[in-house]
Amino acid sequence: MGQDKGILVVGGGISGLTTAVEAAETGYTTVTIVEKNPYLGGRVAQHYRYFPKLCPPYCGLEINFRRIKQNPAIRYYTMAEVEDVSGSAGDFRVRVRQSPRYVNEKCTACNACVEACPVERPNDFNFGMDTTKAIYLPHEMAFPMRYVIDDRHCKGLECSKCVDACKFGAIDLQMKPSTVELNVGSIVYATGWNPYDAARMDNLGFGRIKNVITNMMMERLSAPNGPTKGKIQRPSDGKEVKRIAFVQCAGSRDENHLPYCSAICCMASLKQATYLREKVPDSKATIFYIDLRAPGKYEDFLRRVDADENIVMIKGKVAKIEEDQATGDVVVTAEDVAGGKKIQEGFDMVVLAVGMEPQTRTREFPGGLRYEENGFIDVEQPAGVFGAGVAKKPLDVTSSVQDATASAIKCIQTVAGGK
Amino acid sequence: MEKKLGVYICSDCGIGDSLDIEGLQNATRKYQPAVCKTHPFLCSQEGVQLIKDDIQNEGINTIVIAACSQRVNQDVFDFDPLTYVTERVNLREHVVWVQPPGDENTQLMAVDYLRMGITRAMKALPPEPKKAELEKTILVVGGGVAGLSAALETAKAGYKAVIVEKAGELGGWAKKMHRTLPSRPPYAELEPPDIEGKIRAVEENPDIRVYTNASIEAIDGEPGMFDVTVSSSGSSETFRVGAVVFTIGWKPYDATKLEDQGYGRYKNVITNVELEEMANNGGLKRPSDGGAVQSAVFIQCAGQRDENHLPYCSSVCCLTSLKQAKYVRDSNPDAGAFIIYKDMRTPGLYENFYRSAQDDEGIFLTKGEVLGMEENPDGTINVKVDNKLLGAVTTIKADLVVLATGMVTNMVPEEREPNNLTDEFIGDIVEKQTQDGIVKELEPQSIVLNLKYRQGPELPHLRYGFPDSHFICFPYETRRTGIYAAGAARHPMDMASAELDGAGAALKAIQCVELTSQGKSVHPRAGDQTFPEFRLESCTQCRRCTVECPFGTLDEDEKGTPREHPYRCRRCGVCMGACPQRIVNFKNYSVDMISSMLKEIDVPEDEDFPLIVGFICENDAYPALDMAGINRIQYPPNFRFISLRCLGGTNLVWIADVLSKGADGVILIGCKFGDDYQCHFIKGSQMANERLGKVQETLSRLMLEADRVEQVQLAINEYDRLPEILDEFIEKVKEIGPNPYKGF
Amino acid sequence: MAEETVISPDIKFIRELKETGGETLKKCYQCATCSVVCPISPDDRPFPRKEMVMAQWGMKEEIFSSPDIWTCHNCNDCSKYCPRGARPGDVLGALRQRFIKEAAVPGFMGNLVTEPKMTLVALAIPLLLFLVVLGVTGHLGIPEGRIVYSKLFPIRYIEVIFLSAVGLAGVAYLTSLSRFWNRLTRVNGRGYSKAFVPALVETITEFLKHSKFAKCEANRDRKNGHLLVFYGFVGLFITTLWITFYYYVPKIHSPIPLSDPMKWFGNLSALTLLTGSLIVIANRTKDKGINTRSSSFDWTFVIMVLLVCVTGILTELIRLAGIAALAYPMYLVHLTFVFYIIVYFPYSKLAHMGYRTLAIAYSKMTARDVEA
Repeated sequence: MGQDKGILVVGGGISGLTTAVEAAETGYTTVTIVEKNPYLGGRVAQHYRYFPKLCPPYCGLEINFRRIKQNPAIRYYTMAEVEDVSGSAGDFRVRVRQSPRYVNEKCTACNACVEACPVERPNDFNFGMDTTKAIYLPHEMAFPMRYVIDDRHCKGLECSKCVDACKFGAIDLQMKPSTVELNVGSIVYATGWNPYDAARMDNLGFGRIKNVITNMMMERLSAPNGPTKGKIQRPSDGKEVKRIAFVQCAGSRDENHLPYCSAICCMASLKQATYLREKVPDSKATIFYIDLRAPGKYEDFLRRVDADENIVMIKGKVAKIEEDQATGDVVVTAEDVAGGKKIQEGFDMVVLAVGMEPQTRTREFPGGLRYEENGFIDVEQPAGVFGAGVAKKPLDVTSSVQDATASAIKCIQTVAGGK
Repeated sequence: MEKKLGVYICSDCGIGDSLDIEGLQNATRKYQPAVCKTHPFLCSQEGVQLIKDDIQNEGINTIVIAACSQRVNQDVFDFDPLTYVTERVNLREHVVWVQPPGDENTQLMAVDYLRMGITRAMKALPPEPKKAELEKTILVVGGGVAGLSAALETAKAGYKAVIVEKAGELGGWAKKMHRTLPSRPPYAELEPPDIEGKIRAVEENPDIRVYTNASIEAIDGEPGMFDVTVSSSGSSETFRVGAVVFTIGWKPYDATKLEDQGYGRYKNVITNVELEEMANNGGLKRPSDGGAVQSAVFIQCAGQRDENHLPYCSSVCCLTSLKQAKYVRDSNPDAGAFIIYKDMRTPGLYENFYRSAQDDEGIFLTKGEVLGMEENPDGTINVKVDNKLLGAVTTIKADLVVLATGMVTNMVPEEREPNNLTDEFIGDIVEKQTQDGIVKELEPQSIVLNLKYRQGPELPHLRYGFPDSHFICFPYETRRTGIYAAGAARHPMDMASAELDGAGAALKAIQCVELTSQGKSVHPRAGDQTFPEFRLESCTQCRRCTVECPFGTLDEDEKGTPREHPYRCRRCGVCMGACPQRIVNFKNYSVDMISSMLKEIDVPEDEDFPLIVGFICENDAYPALDMAGINRIQYPPNFRFISLRCLGGTNLVWIADVLSKGADGVILIGCKFGDDYQCHFIKGSQMANERLGKVQETLSRLMLEADRVEQVQLAINEYDRLPEILDEFIEKVKEIGPNPYKGF
Repeated sequence: MAEETVISPDIKFIRELKETGGETLKKCYQCATCSVVCPISPDDRPFPRKEMVMAQWGMKEEIFSSPDIWTCHNCNDCSKYCPRGARPGDVLGALRQRFIKEAAVPGFMGNLVTEPKMTLVALAIPLLLFLVVLGVTGHLGIPEGRIVYSKLFPIRYIEVIFLSAVGLAGVAYLTSLSRFWNRLTRVNGRGYSKAFVPALVETITEFLKHSKFAKCEANRDRKNGHLLVFYGFVGLFITTLWITFYYYVPKIHSPIPLSDPMKWFGNLSALTLLTGSLIVIANRTKDKGINTRSSSFDWTFVIMVLLVCVTGILTELIRLAGIAALAYPMYLVHLTFVFYIIVYFPYSKLAHMGYRTLAIAYSKMTARDVEA
């Protein structure tokens, strides 16, 4: 075996974690994960349940985190981003910039700082639907289990209440950004995705109409650790949601927005319909779609959901959403294609099934990456550089894991080929 | 090994404020620890140094840390597991953060946990690693796209591969393709198949051996030492491999069952597979008279998304029909290709291909349903379609009707119906004469692998014959350690995905041989170096362990005594829970260990304070209890939780132990089971549940009510349900009344 | 379910549509966004989604029996929101054009006027006709003295030529309209909730107010241009009647003094039409991203309108300037464009007037019209 320089995995979501863990467990390479959030787990950490098993993402994350904890070959940096890449396959030099967390390894997650902190910030983990203090734990299942300070809101040294509250000397308000130089043999970009900005679809009312939310917000609204502790309440007045509409292809399969299909939104909405049906027995859900895409074995799930007579599926895209000022209800207009009628119906809340926009569409990463027309990482890349998961194309979780595992073998070949 | 115990109690994060630390220290005296120390910040450098110094100076080898959850600070309290036993007692998340401070019951709870933790540590020994030089060659079963990819990637990673292909040549379906779907951006144009290049690469690779016209007669053994007997062209050969990639691919659904869609009734009705062959062999013609194809109708989901045939969707047929519609158009610029779909499924970037096909002026698409067909005298067929987009019935005159039939995994033999299979293994239910009279039993059928496993010769399957796996998060994890399924045998997928899937499975196979040769477990307890040990002299040949192991680890000799295959083991401990004789144990996890811990619980005599022991799975229920702690969700102080590797390891002996001690109830909290199981050991929580079905037997002997024992399914994120679940159980136990053994 | 139709792919029709400005029609994937965002699409069997699939499938008969392609006012809200870039507005425009050509009586006239490459021929016909008439009657040449156009082209000749031509065109148009009506009622026939006359009155009232145009979102400016063109034409029509009345009753002959109210009215109408056509042109050249992609058919017509105005105004101005050598030829040119507009109207874009009137009236009768 040549001298192992190890693998750099950019992104600590499900794809990055999988590539890292699977590659490291072969036993002959080290892996470094660089994650920009203060925690690992990425987008899946924000999900309440996976389709079609309706199981919590943390169940699998817990195992992956345990595999990381017990494997000294895996290192990770949170709040870190790759700044520069030079060199070539087998010998990349990478500069990683780590933003200050202001909380060091002495933190025991005891929560005393939060009680002392006087400042609130919108909670981005919950898409701004609630607030946390300026010092906060991203969420209770966060790994690493360590608090963090949002320096856009923290008043800094002039306040220092948290510093006084911490018995352990874990808070350092003067922490500075740091730079880490890495030398790696291969790089995997598992940079994942962002939900497409729903406000850009002016006819769908997001941002203007309070009770129009996105599918990712629906995940948070349903999760026990979400802003409403898992109660599905509409944002305008906290009323329990009984009539909900799902608007499929909100921005996806749309040349004005994302021309491709995001592959997961149909299944996600079917799944989210079950959230409401399970939590509110006398509720009704309507799914407006163009094509119901439940490929492969997912068809079973579609059949199961379809069997619920309180879940109605209508072929016809919603193209107009208005607010009933008096009640706060949301009025949705669509053509019921099968029925040959235009319908207008009022709902307590409307969920836009917004698609996945690759991080690489809105941000350029160093390393000579090649992109396809939508900003996904292209199939062909410089030697030693690979994409994994949704960075490459829209995928569901299990396909991302499949893809990430395949990327792991490519890395192994690069760093340890000719074993 | 002489145990030298050190107990370290952390007093902060509220522990010192809530508990009487001195009381805790006093409680340890019974165990005569070499040291028992308290520190206000144990996870600090100084705190850890304190422990290290004691290891150095006092020879401490058994370390009990009474502080926070074992899920945090693992990297801090990290003492070589091959030398030291480290046990974490969770006073923080499981006691002080969920109980009122300074309360007597809180203290009792903490003391019980401390005593149980010390007992666990005292009963545990460091594992003895079992390193061995094992075979690392990877066997690839099936030489289609997925198999070729698995073999090539394996070889590129520096390992040897052997392909066993049942056909006369490599390439599988890919070889029969006229064109393939776009594999790269912009995903708009069809590509000529590049399978020949891959076949050549395989054939030229010195590290890949290929058997064609071959079948597997037997696979015996375990990871690192699977002995494979392959029969090829009349001769048979046995060799050893380390792990297996299972890429046996798919077959088209039997179209003769689709007579109602015209197949077999009209000459000009063919399947998509037949069209592909036609395109490859001289172009599209009407089968009836060899005439030109002016109009072709593609009927999507032919026998798919249909509970009478294939209830699932085959994922690729929409794309295939779009592709084949292009064949029709390429063959004749004035020809029309009609596609009648239920939903056009071209997910992800394949949407581009849909767009490019749409742009063709001669491709006509509609959501619709075929109402009927009629053959015209000239052999053309009138297809009557309920055109859902127009809300009208339209009749299309077609020279050729193409049924988009689906994919059936080759796990399902020809004569079986995918929607009507026996559970777990494909086979026949036969009647067998046993001591208990005639019983109906499944006799599994050999299909491909011919595994010499007691539980059955193939991979256990899920619905429709697809191999059972730890789908979603760990899709490659089948129920046979060291055997990884990939490609369309695993679930319906296109060729590009199959290729990728083969690569992924190859990585898992390599990982398996590497971990195994270091004596380490694979997923989900990756790195675990313990092995189950069997005291066979006490075995009564009840066969529970051999039947219940979710991974088919144990075979049997003629008498029914388990035969071990340690490298198949995933260390879940289901066998340990199954054994009524308590003969299965790990160095650091045993029936006796838990029994001894139970003895340490101080059951109050107070009849108004029911004491309940909870067995919890460490992967989901334990973290859920941690989350309750982090959220400071208070729950009753009546519970003592003991974490298990998997709930399937629950031995009924423990339930008897608990109740005969006078505790009032037992609650098992673990993952969901059933079709959508969440158990990382696949069958663990279900096994626990089945075992509880028999608990009555045990309890009748004690004259106790079976209702005192309950299993609750809890997902890791359902910590919010805990107070309700626990309150309800207390109420239930209170209704039954206090345990009559109390105070004995 | 409507009645059964037998399909055999009419790829030729699809190709024609694509050439006529509907090149995006195959892009539609039937999401039905268009039907929702269209402000004038009814709730019952809304358009243009179903028209799009009919067009994609080459279902000429069905689509030409649809009133909805005429109800469309080409606001292009549909094209703005279309996720596939299928531009239903353009496709419907192309369909209307194809229909006008298809419905033309006699058929060759449809070809002559709708095919842009035939435009010069179409213009040459009246010009030659005029020259022949003038030549035969010995009027070819620049008359002496005060510029009076009837010296070149006596009113009687104009009357004979134009009245007979317009009469023929009118008969042809009525034939096309009545065929269209038969198609509408045959294919879509069902119970009527309103009688024809009140529906027609309502429709015309709506046209006068341009209230359907007012509902357009994406293409608001279109209303103004169309309104001015519409009223310009109405004004010039009234002017023509007025001048005929002057000629026969008080026997006031051209040129009529600028102070005359009729002259005011005529000039105002001409300016209205000019402004209207300029607005239309400006709108079309403005790049609004979503704006309708005008076909050459549309361009031909609007340029003709502009030319009628410009030559008309020039004819008047040059006459007032007293440049006979320019004035008479200009008059002849003007008459050629006038001929194009008023004699060819059943085959030009103007033909939509009748079809749209009938289609909307029909929609009102079948309760499928959206309140304007």
